[in-house]
Amino acid sequence: MKYAFFVGCTILSRLPAYEKSARKVAEKLGVELIDIPGSSCCGTTYMETLDRKTSLALAARNIAIAEEMGLNIVTLCNGCTENLTKTNKALKEDPTLRAEVNEILAETGKQFKGAVEVKHYVRMLKEDVGFDKVRAACTKPFKGLRVGAHYGCHLLKPSDEMLFEDPNDPQVLDELIRATGAESIDYPGKTECCAGPVMGIREKVTWDVGMDKVETVKKHGDAMATCCPFCYITYERCQFMTDTNPNLPVVHIPQLLGLAMGLSADEVGLGTNKVDASGLLARQEA
Amino acid sequence: MEQSEIRITQEGKEFRGEVMATHGADKLMHCYQCGTCSSDCPVAKRVPEFRPRNIARLAIYGQKDRLLDGDLVWLCAGCYTCYERCPQKVHVSEVVTALRQIALREGKIHPTIKSIVTTIPRLGYISEIGEFENEMRAEDGLPPAPTPATEEIKAIMKKTGILGRVGGKQS
Repeated sequence: MKYAFFVGCTILSRLPAYEKSARKVAEKLGVELIDIPGSSCCGTTYMETLDRKTSLALAARNIAIAEEMGLNIVTLCNGCTENLTKTNKALKEDPTLRAEVNEILAETGKQFKGAVEVKHYVRMLKEDVGFDKVRAACTKPFKGLRVGAHYGCHLLKPSDEMLFEDPNDPQVLDELIRATGAESIDYPGKTECCAGPVMGIREKVTWDVGMDKVETVKKHGDAMATCCPFCYITYERCQFMTDTNPNLPVVHIPQLLGLAMGLSADEVGLGTNKVDASGLLARQEA
Repeated sequence: MEQSEIRITQEGKEFRGEVMATHGADKLMHCYQCGTCSSDCPVAKRVPEFRPRNIARLAIYGQKDRLLDGDLVWLCAGCYTCYERCPQKVHVSEVVTALRQIALREGKIHPTIKSIVTTIPRLGYISEIGEFENEMRAEDGLPPAPTPATEEIKAIMKKTGILGRVGGKQS
């Protein structure tokens, strides 16, 4: 199993632990992740709201490189996943739009052909690797650890574009958490947005929305697991913006998987989590 | 009780037409003001003046100034909850997109969004990934980040004209 690996700006520059743990877990599962030379920003979800053509062209350029590599794309960021998936779908389905975007892309010597698929890492684990294989690889499972899954928005929505799981009742993260031996808890507001995109407009809104969820998960569980850099940053940082000091560890889902697969704390970059997550190690079977 | 009268001007109608001509926002007039969008909006829970239902109503009435003043249209988190749950498939999130595009045309882009958009052609990414970042990555056992083809990004953005419209530099 081999994929073109689209890491995304924010993870590349700020969240090495997410990327590192994702690469190590992939290795454990026999999945090869190949970097995409010359790939750049996916276009951002902001660009999509300002100018659709620019957004489509920036995303299509990245897809075109993966097409040249002859590999389907695996992503780590919900935002990149949305942008690349929507672009891929729109340009595959609409030949007129594809011709217009290819005319823009001609400036770069690249062309979108519609030859590859785009999948978030967790979707790849579900659909291509399979939960059974993931479960079997978890040789050092957690015991008595209660984890709150946070899906974020653009892994699932808009659902008529993403065509993955029901955004009101998603399963993939819960399944992956259970594969590690941990309990995936249900909690009110599980599918709600982190409000991360508002951080640069009115910061306090993001911290308040973030704390709502942190406090809820804290009531029912021991940690939160995310699959998006922006959600991760929101839930970690909001805890340092209040006086209540909730100390709820937030982990990237491959960190949790990696530990359960016997990787060391260092191999999954656990030391970089700003809310101390070392307590998770004590919940593993010897 | 005295009834207030709302007049929809010709200019207001044209504005509404512009909103509805944007990708995904064509069903604006199907809104029957049920408020599902406002009750499920994560931002509305914290920001009293941000109400997706109100945004739809003001757009139907062509109230351009009230919609484009301040940071209202930039407060949407783009979570698509209103998109998913609207019984009429109005897609308020796409109405907000239309409003942002009109705001952009009027030179009213939010400075944060402008800064993000103008960073892309400069760095190829939305954040700096240079020598220092790659050294840090190496310490983590990670390969260097893909060298971004900034010239290609610039060529795309020059061709679509987006940089001129956000007030960024063309080169």
